[in-house]
Amino acid sequence: MVIGYLRRAYSSFAAHVFDVPPRLMAFLFLMILLLVPVAGVGPYYLNIMIYANVVAIFAASWDLLVGRTGQISLGHAIFFGIGGYSSALLFKYYGLPIWVTIPTALLIGSLAALLLGFPCLRVKGPYLALVTMSFPIIISNIVKWSPLIDVFGGELGIRSIPGFFTFLPVVPTNQQRIAEYYFTLVLLFASSVLIYKIANSKTGIVFVSILDDELASKACGINVTRYKLMSFMISGLFGSLAGCVQAHLLKVANPPMFELATSFTPIIVTFLGGIGTIYGPIVGAYIFTILDRYFLTDLLPRLLRDNFQVTLPSGYEYAKLLIFTLIVLILVIKWPRGVSRFTTDRLEDLEEARDLDERGPRIWKTYKKKKEKS
Amino acid sequence: MIYGTISGGVYALLALGFTLIYGVSGVVNLAHGSFYMLGAYTFFVFGALGFFGSDPMLASILALIVAVIFVGAVGSITYRLTIHPVIGHDIAVMVVTVCLAIIFQQLMLLGFGASFPRVSWPKGSFLLESTSIWGVSVEYSLILAFVVSLVLFASLLVFITKTKIGKAMRAVSQDREVAMLMGINTKRLYMLTMIISAMLAALAGIFITTSIEKSTGPWLWFRPLALSLTIVILGGLGSIKGSLLGAFIVAYAEKTVAIAVSEGGAIVGVVPLAVIVVVLLVRPKGLFGKRIEMED
Repeated sequence: MVIGYLRRAYSSFAAHVFDVPPRLMAFLFLMILLLVPVAGVGPYYLNIMIYANVVAIFAASWDLLVGRTGQISLGHAIFFGIGGYSSALLFKYYGLPIWVTIPTALLIGSLAALLLGFPCLRVKGPYLALVTMSFPIIISNIVKWSPLIDVFGGELGIRSIPGFFTFLPVVPTNQQRIAEYYFTLVLLFASSVLIYKIANSKTGIVFVSILDDELASKACGINVTRYKLMSFMISGLFGSLAGCVQAHLLKVANPPMFELATSFTPIIVTFLGGIGTIYGPIVGAYIFTILDRYFLTDLLPRLLRDNFQVTLPSGYEYAKLLIFTLIVLILVIKWPRGVSRFTTDRLEDLEEARDLDERGPRIWKTYKKKKEKS
Repeated sequence: MIYGTISGGVYALLALGFTLIYGVSGVVNLAHGSFYMLGAYTFFVFGALGFFGSDPMLASILALIVAVIFVGAVGSITYRLTIHPVIGHDIAVMVVTVCLAIIFQQLMLLGFGASFPRVSWPKGSFLLESTSIWGVSVEYSLILAFVVSLVLFASLLVFITKTKIGKAMRAVSQDREVAMLMGINTKRLYMLTMIISAMLAALAGIFITTSIEKSTGPWLWFRPLALSLTIVILGGLGSIKGSLLGAFIVAYAEKTVAIAVSEGGAIVGVVPLAVIVVVLLVRPKGLFGKRIEMED
């Protein structure tokens, strides 16, 4: 009986995953991610991947709010910062363990999102974008304000908050990093599946209707206010999750969490991946982090040094961000619909070709022919 | 109070460019602060190198003109290459302009390092001396900045209301498609608006850095950006009258808070932002914004 179940599970899995090229891609992507620590990637590179996971959660939460509901937010850093700070403050004043502070921080984050959602209901379009942009700036100034230095720790932030998995050994292999990697990956998987399910549920359809035409959805009897606030809350929940995970990973909650750069990270990431797709930001997060922290910081200087005996000048630190921004700029202009959407479009073309004539091995040929005809 | 009035005038110039480009083409130009910074830097380069003869006063005036023209050119090139392909897509425009701002910042870092070059009018010129108005000593350069800003503001207002191009601009801001049907070349108009906007930003940059802040730096772009956003939102996006009023409100608020709260500069930046949040709660489209229409 067990075997029968397994077989049925496998066949349904194969029908739902292997038969749909985009899903197959997602599955392979997940498999590769799961195998990263096993393949002997060092702790330094694992750190990069951990950061990519956190950014992916953050960007997916932004995508739900902006790509699906159409409430342009340029200040998503506020949820990131509130998540990190509330978790850190709970530890600082009550000494609570990590598994209490994180859920509480999530609760605080979504409540804050609800509170911020109320004023945001009144404004639209560019006004909304600019208002949301001003929130994190206000909060970060309060956090840095000198009379409150005992509470928030000023510029340095709240330091030495507990990390994850500190009980695991660091030598000979850094098991702590590996555990953190799997932990963030599981969090990413869980939250992205949740966000994706929400986005494709009835509620998600209502969100998209608000994006398309607010007035029409109002006329259809949809309580727009309620759904907008709901979108804010869900987005704030996952945003603060990313924030408090990041704070515990780095063992510090500091003012840069509220910076404009933090607000723009999910935006750039989502644009790279494809806005409004939920899976796009996740792909974008990996492209962003690997490009920024691995390729330009580590690989390119090393290759140049080893193969051409070129050491980069000291100005490279500045040039790095310049090159990175140029790449992002060109990608955004050339592929405004995002890298992942571009890929899935191609894959869906492929799927169509297979539906026409059920000949697996000749997919590519028919695809090419179809291309030539058109 | 007097300082408030003077900074209000220059802030108005800064915000005017921002509101103009938004009003005409709907571009939220987050690289506006970069043009401001670029203006200050080019003025610094040409002024410091002594490019234009030995007479310091003449040299700095020439430097000012060259800087403004240069920034206008840069503005038009960046517009054509980067903003034009994504125009009409709000978030893409914002992403692109923020990328531009970071690129300019990094270019400045590469070119000049992370220092804060001192920018000022040449030593010994009468602009650095001060006079007193109602018992407050004010440098002549501040007065110059104020007067030039107001004159420019007024002439721009005339330009927009009276000339043919100004009329075309207003037509495009009201309805782009109908304006196109009427034979207005919107592309060229957007370009022109962008150039004017960049030039205004550069001019404001030169005045503020030389007369008020006295130095420039690669991270200079953020504060003017926040300022112009605040002012423009306060006055209503795309409204010229609104931006003038908003500039004065913000300038006075800033100075008042700087005097009233002794606890330091950190909180000063908060006040204008807090003001806009409150104002937007009361009037969602700013003080002078277009009324909310049914079809948005």
